[in-house]
Amino acid sequence: MERRDFLKNLIVGGLALKFSTPVFSQPAGPELTVVEGESPEAITREAVKALGGMSRFISRGDKVLIKPNIGWDRTPEMAACTNPDVVAALVAMSLESGAKEVVVMDHTINQPKRCYARSGIQEAARAAGARVLFTDEQRLKKMALKGEWLKEWEVFQDFVEADKIINVPIAKVHSLSRVTLGLKNWLGAIGGNRNQLHQKIDQAVVDLGAFFKPTLTVLDAYRILVRNGPQGGRVSDTRLQKTVVAGMDPVAVDAYGATFFELKPQELPFLKLAQSRGLGKFELEKVRIEKRAV
Amino acid sequence: MKRERSKKYFWLQRLRILTQVIFFLLFFLLFLQTHYPGEDYLKVTVERFFHFDPLLLAATAIASRTIYAALLLSLITLAATLLLGRFVCGWLCPLGAVHQFFSFIFKRSRLLRPGKEDRASLAPKYLILLVVLAAALLSVNLVGYLDPLSFLYRSFAVFISPLLNLGLVQSGNLAYALGLKSLGQAASQAAGNLAFNGLFQNALLIGALFLLAILLNVRKERFWCRYLCPAGALLGLFSRFNLFKLKIDPDRCINCHLCSIHCQTNARPYPAGEWRSSECVYCETCAAICPTAAISFPLRWQPEKMRGVDLDRRRVLLTSLTGLVLAPIFKISPLRRRSNPGLIRPPGALAEPEFLNRCLKCGECTKVCPTNALHPALAEAGPEGVWTPVLVPRIGYCEYYCSLCTQVCPTGAIRELTIEEKVTVKIGTAWVDKTRCLPYALGKPCIVCEEHCPVSPKAIQLIKVDTLTPDGVVATNLAPFVNVDTCIGCGICENKCVVMDLPAIRVSSIGEHRSSHNRLVLPAAEDQNQLKP
Repeated sequence: MERRDFLKNLIVGGLALKFSTPVFSQPAGPELTVVEGESPEAITREAVKALGGMSRFISRGDKVLIKPNIGWDRTPEMAACTNPDVVAALVAMSLESGAKEVVVMDHTINQPKRCYARSGIQEAARAAGARVLFTDEQRLKKMALKGEWLKEWEVFQDFVEADKIINVPIAKVHSLSRVTLGLKNWLGAIGGNRNQLHQKIDQAVVDLGAFFKPTLTVLDAYRILVRNGPQGGRVSDTRLQKTVVAGMDPVAVDAYGATFFELKPQELPFLKLAQSRGLGKFELEKVRIEKRAV
Repeated sequence: MKRERSKKYFWLQRLRILTQVIFFLLFFLLFLQTHYPGEDYLKVTVERFFHFDPLLLAATAIASRTIYAALLLSLITLAATLLLGRFVCGWLCPLGAVHQFFSFIFKRSRLLRPGKEDRASLAPKYLILLVVLAAALLSVNLVGYLDPLSFLYRSFAVFISPLLNLGLVQSGNLAYALGLKSLGQAASQAAGNLAFNGLFQNALLIGALFLLAILLNVRKERFWCRYLCPAGALLGLFSRFNLFKLKIDPDRCINCHLCSIHCQTNARPYPAGEWRSSECVYCETCAAICPTAAISFPLRWQPEKMRGVDLDRRRVLLTSLTGLVLAPIFKISPLRRRSNPGLIRPPGALAEPEFLNRCLKCGECTKVCPTNALHPALAEAGPEGVWTPVLVPRIGYCEYYCSLCTQVCPTGAIRELTIEEKVTVKIGTAWVDKTRCLPYALGKPCIVCEEHCPVSPKAIQLIKVDTLTPDGVVATNLAPFVNVDTCIGCGICENKCVVMDLPAIRVSSIGEHRSSHNRLVLPAAEDQNQLKP
């Protein structure tokens, strides 16, 4: 094809797309998918599929970083860390979409090796083909976050260098921010004295959410933590929700996540702050949601 | 006469060196294995070396009046020594190998020039042994300070381990600086997997003593083994038969003294008849170095007499008495009556007196602790407790689902616990310092300690607290309130508290289950019979 033809086609096609009636264009896909089912892996796959498939987010040759919550030295039935099967499904899908490399990483709170091993994430993600790496203090760099409160902070460079980032939080209660979902999960991508952030936790998670813009957020609500958050300790602190929520809008994902805890999104200050920062929408009635069951 | 060295003993000497290398590597491998393996329970008995040390059996049995079954393995060592002499020192002991190696280096570099005749008394180690055993009679367990395995392991755990960690981290750093990202990554992942603990209080002191022990080899070959080692002394006392006896062929001997000069432990292979069998470690140096192959070790059945070491009755009696008189000094400590608030012992530690009777200060628990929480004590545990393990929450906390330290103790000073048992053991109690805690003192929100509390339901509960600020505004915040009944004293709250210098929540030893007197709240009548020390 001649360059001239190509440009002509591009312009004509572009104009056609822009001004054509909706009849000719694709019907708008869902912004948020909510899938329920027995298998964590199957519902994860279905949730991403309903969004348009992983190849919509991951291109051939991409270096993908998947950020689960591996914060605690807790086994999966305690629902303190992301479900390992959910993580493994995302690893597999990324590789199927041609990702060159998938790294799974989190800056843990308890001893790293124990968290990686006992959460089951290290084993599951490795089996799916990921490189599961401990965070490395040498890779911390002070960066300008340009937040409302957090002007600069130490960030693990792996999160900055990746081509695509998938955020995979687990839904849990928290005594200060009430719930911990996707936005708060970014505390695991930074170093420094993270515990100071609790002095203005809502502002902190929004500042972090504005800095780390994930390609995709997949909220694991297969087994959620409803008491004694954010680490639980007994199976009775958890509840089986058997759901995965996926979306490109991190605020909408968190807003939907709040409903698992009988909370209205507008009750959560960090969601309002996030919306006003332009990170997404928390008013779920304005979000195109598709629900499926597997 | 043809001058030719013995081929047989040359190869035997090489075999001895190989065996030393293998046993040192085995020791080091077990040292590296003493970490969280990725599973809850260690599959390897990483503390196995200690069980073969008869000195530890003797001292802890006398001090604690109980026999720890695993240490009975050391009877094998004793039986072998009875028949074959101190070959364990020369062939198997990893600290012996370290000293031998450095003696060799110092000789090669001419820093150490052994003389023809060395009249220095070899008695000190026997006297040290006597003091250790006499003190043990009075339940003062001093064995760990100079026991070779405890000495070596402690030095490695507290001094070498942080250096290895630093080396890994720095080489990773260098790799990144050179743009070798994958190499840097490999270094950091190795550091994460090996989980070396990087910080220890008293590391300098313990490291300095280790270096000193090595440097002493400049003065005399295997200085430690000759003069200091109480385990070697014990084996010396038990080397009765020495089935392979040194023999000098008078027809071949040219009186060159080479054998005596290079004898590692000054066992006097020359002149004939002077051989001190209880000092010989069967390194085979004399037989290998002899230019005329005059020395051999043929099998002969007669028992040997201990000779050459000046251990007359008066000296023995005096030393034992000294030990008996010195030992009580270790007990003059106010800690006998009032517990030290900072003396937080690992979970499963026996009640303090029994703990001290058994603890070797070997550092197994400090090495295995995944969070770097256990440190060698200096003054926290009184004079008897120097270098016993103490949990320092500001540096590391006790990981809730971890019972590794209870799995590696060679003498049962820390009772082995399953994870299910361990989570019920209280090692101390957390206290909120309201003058430093953010919600109380500053009227600022912070729930970090509550968030980290691993107990369910949480032992740190949140209450609403009003703080009047200078501008007249009342700040209402959630603030921590410790439930002393459910708090286990793990110390993660103190470790993670945002007040970095002197945390606003701190753990003290009060309420520890192992103590019957360091108690705070007497439980309800029906629960009192469940109290287990």
